Amino acid sequence: MNGARAERGNDVGESRDFLIGLGRGAAGAMLFGIPMLMTMELWQLGFYIERWRLFLLLIVNIPLLILLAHRIGFERTSTAAEACRDAIIAYGLGVLISAAILIMLGDIKPHMPLSEMLGKVAIQSVPASIGALLGRSQLGGQAGKDEDDGDGEKDQDEGGDAVPDEISTSYSRELFLMAVGALFLNLNVAPTEEIILIAYKMTPWHALVMIGVSIAIMHGFVYAVAFKGTHEIPKETPWWHAFFRFTLPGYLVAMLISFYVLWTFGRLDDTAPTQMLMSAIVLAFPGAIGAAAARLIL
Amino acid sequence: MTITANKRHREAKEPHWIEWATGMVSALVVVAMIAWVGYKAWTDADMEPEFTITITERRPVEGGYRVAFDIVNKATVTAAAVAVRGEIVDGDNMVEDADVTFDYVPAQSQSSGAILFSQDPGAREVRVRAVGYTDP
Repeated sequence: MNGARAERGNDVGESRDFLIGLGRGAAGAMLFGIPMLMTMELWQLGFYIERWRLFLLLIVNIPLLILLAHRIGFERTSTAAEACRDAIIAYGLGVLISAAILIMLGDIKPHMPLSEMLGKVAIQSVPASIGALLGRSQLGGQAGKDEDDGDGEKDQDEGGDAVPDEISTSYSRELFLMAVGALFLNLNVAPTEEIILIAYKMTPWHALVMIGVSIAIMHGFVYAVAFKGTHEIPKETPWWHAFFRFTLPGYLVAMLISFYVLWTFGRLDDTAPTQMLMSAIVLAFPGAIGAAAARLIL
Repeated sequence: MTITANKRHREAKEPHWIEWATGMVSALVVVAMIAWVGYKAWTDADMEPEFTITITERRPVEGGYRVAFDIVNKATVTAAAVAVRGEIVDGDNMVEDADVTFDYVPAQSQSSGAILFSQDPGAREVRVRAVGYTDP
């Protein structure tokens, strides 16, 4: 993880760095997992979610973590094997942290049936494991980086930064990052009853406005508002190029993720197509923000 | 394709054709979605929730008798806190009643539930009807 230290070939230094990485992962799992660990609906989902949907979610999480680890890992991963290792570590951390916190919160008690305990931990481990991976990249190696940026793009060598200095993000990977961002925010809000309640309260007119606002926010986040990491469009390119190539596909990705999460949590069962669409539009609103943020942050 | 150099993101000038293809498909889907919702917004008249209840199963269970039913809301508005009452009626006399409440019966959708009576209705009539709801 730390290039200078690794080159020394010092075993103690390496294992210490690895432990620090684990600590950051655990911190990330907590930081990103706490809102869900303290949500009542997710505890309940732990025992009533259909087991094969939960199984599918747990399986889908594996390639997702591997791809994410390949991009931002516990270490600067270059090979698929390393990415797999990091993904497994993150998943393990997610499970451990979820279980520990649920026990601390008194939500898991010895007299409960095993399937209830497993279900509760399993469903929480998905966002927690994503958080563990993000924790490594977002909490790690930040010290002194801001000054470096201020110094006019000074070369940062390898100082603990998980993101290489020059990378070319392929289009599919860009869409993948948006999917991760959308999934993460969706998992935060989808289990709550408010999402379907909002969908029931809204008329189709509200939904139309929401679609427009979601797309506008997505585009604005990435291209207009000058956040750190904002994407620049070359001057001679019209704005609608990026709108068609990134923002609209991004919104579609957010919608698909919304449908998937709603379906996983059983919110679409026995519901008319229009109602399904309305719920997905509501959920795609935070999803769109998450997707746009992921493009900036990751 | 996006190039990230020194923590700045720049979009490539010459995008691959697949980016345009994806963009076009996405635009079509989003437009179709907007059209669908717009059509619904235009055509949906203000309706009141309208329930149809069909009994799907009747069988004895431990300590009572279970009457399962489906409740369908045909209207384009959702009803909340839908109270459903089941009654065993013998001629003009009501023998037993039991209530169940649905959190939501979404528009044009179906929910299912069951009423548990303490006795077997036998040949007597069983009535299940919605007795009230609130707007969500």
